[in-house]
Amino acid sequence: MNQVVEIGAGHLAAAYLLLAFPLAIMLWYRIPMIGETVVSVVRMTLQLIFVGLYLQVVFRLNNLWLTAAWLLVMVTVADVSIVRSCSLKLSRIALPLFGALLAGTAVPLLLFVGLILRRDNLLDAQYAIPIGGMILGNCLRADIVGVRTFYESIRTGEKTFLQSLAQGALLHEAMRPYAQKACRAALAPTVASMTTIGLVSLPGMMTGVILGGASPAIAIKYQIAIMISIFSGTAITLAMGLWLTSKTSFTPHGPIDRSIFRAS
Amino acid sequence: MDRPATLEIKDVTVQLNGQTILHDFSLGLEAGQKALLTGPSGCGKSTVLRCLLGFVVPRAGSVHIAGQALTAESVWTLRRRIAYVGQEPDLGAGIVRDILERPFHYRANTALRGNLARVPALFDAFGLARSLLDKEAGDLSGGEKQRVALVSALLLDRDIFLLDEVTSALDPASKRKVIEHFRSRTEATMLFVAHDAESFPFADRVIEMPGGAA
Repeated sequence: MNQVVEIGAGHLAAAYLLLAFPLAIMLWYRIPMIGETVVSVVRMTLQLIFVGLYLQVVFRLNNLWLTAAWLLVMVTVADVSIVRSCSLKLSRIALPLFGALLAGTAVPLLLFVGLILRRDNLLDAQYAIPIGGMILGNCLRADIVGVRTFYESIRTGEKTFLQSLAQGALLHEAMRPYAQKACRAALAPTVASMTTIGLVSLPGMMTGVILGGASPAIAIKYQIAIMISIFSGTAITLAMGLWLTSKTSFTPHGPIDRSIFRAS
Repeated sequence: MDRPATLEIKDVTVQLNGQTILHDFSLGLEAGQKALLTGPSGCGKSTVLRCLLGFVVPRAGSVHIAGQALTAESVWTLRRRIAYVGQEPDLGAGIVRDILERPFHYRANTALRGNLARVPALFDAFGLARSLLDKEAGDLSGGEKQRVALVSALLLDRDIFLLDEVTSALDPASKRKVIEHFRSRTEATMLFVAHDAESFPFADRVIEMPGGAA
């Protein structure tokens, strides 16, 4: 197979020309998102330049501690992002959610690198960072949907929740219907994407492996392994996230502690 | 054998969102006693029931149920002695039959599952058509929801009833049926919240709460 084609700076600049289409549409429909879009494109560019430079160093050194530290930084950023998106208080939710994200990322990542790729160094930077990033990115999306659905549905359906407690339910029994709803909402997109994968779009990892010069036969094996890892990671992070955050989100008598919600 | 189902609230102060809802409030009910808690809107009647369920934790004072202090540990077992029906009960989603079955999935109630056989008789006693069992809870009228919530509470065989304005949406005939049913439960301890004494004519005691925030 061919090696990956290098993109020069000038050629990359041409990619920015494609922005003319969304910006023109925004102007035409007078959608007030142009400033926001420009800022996000600039942020994306700067963040990726920084990450690209940083990862070159990390890959070259391939130091276990440096890779672990980078993964922890990624988990921390994801953690803060989820708590903010769910309108919950950082001081109450961030720590338990961090544990859930770490477990949801680390368990499938270590199995992927150790068992499927059979690498001696489980935190080999070349594999651990991109694969960890893909799993974590999906955990983040699932947690935003799941954690938000869980706490919002308890807040809006508090009467029913309290009625369950009054009927003798233990906390985990009263939480169950809300946890079921949250898990369904969070896991459904991954299940749906597994159903249509390859037919509707070529997924990210498979595309990356093909662009990297490997054959489609190798690419699909990577894709199957990553899809299962992502699904398993999202399920772990969600289940642990709901369980661990519930330890700090309910009063010792059972009702939800409303001080966990950030004032809107 | 369980100790008699007495209720005691002693010198309780409750503050919510910086506002004092109850101040040095006390109330005691002997086992089997029926009391009507009345007073103007906003005086804290529902808060008293919420205190007894542990949904509101007093800033000061104590709550005892059947002689046992209500704490973060004991509340989980003490709630198993209480049947509570709130104002405008929210039955949740699903058909009525499933909603009545739901509490029997909780570990505290699994042994009582056989009580579901009493549903038809209770529906008849409260003037509810049995066809309602297969209806979506969201499609029920306010009065039907109140009576289904009462049936659900009665199925759990509790010896304490905390009932908050449970006949407010009922027509006079249904109201009479509900009152007669609860009158026949002589052994149970009942605290009934209502605006008027007519809603609970067999009360042993009427406790008038002062107006506004106490």
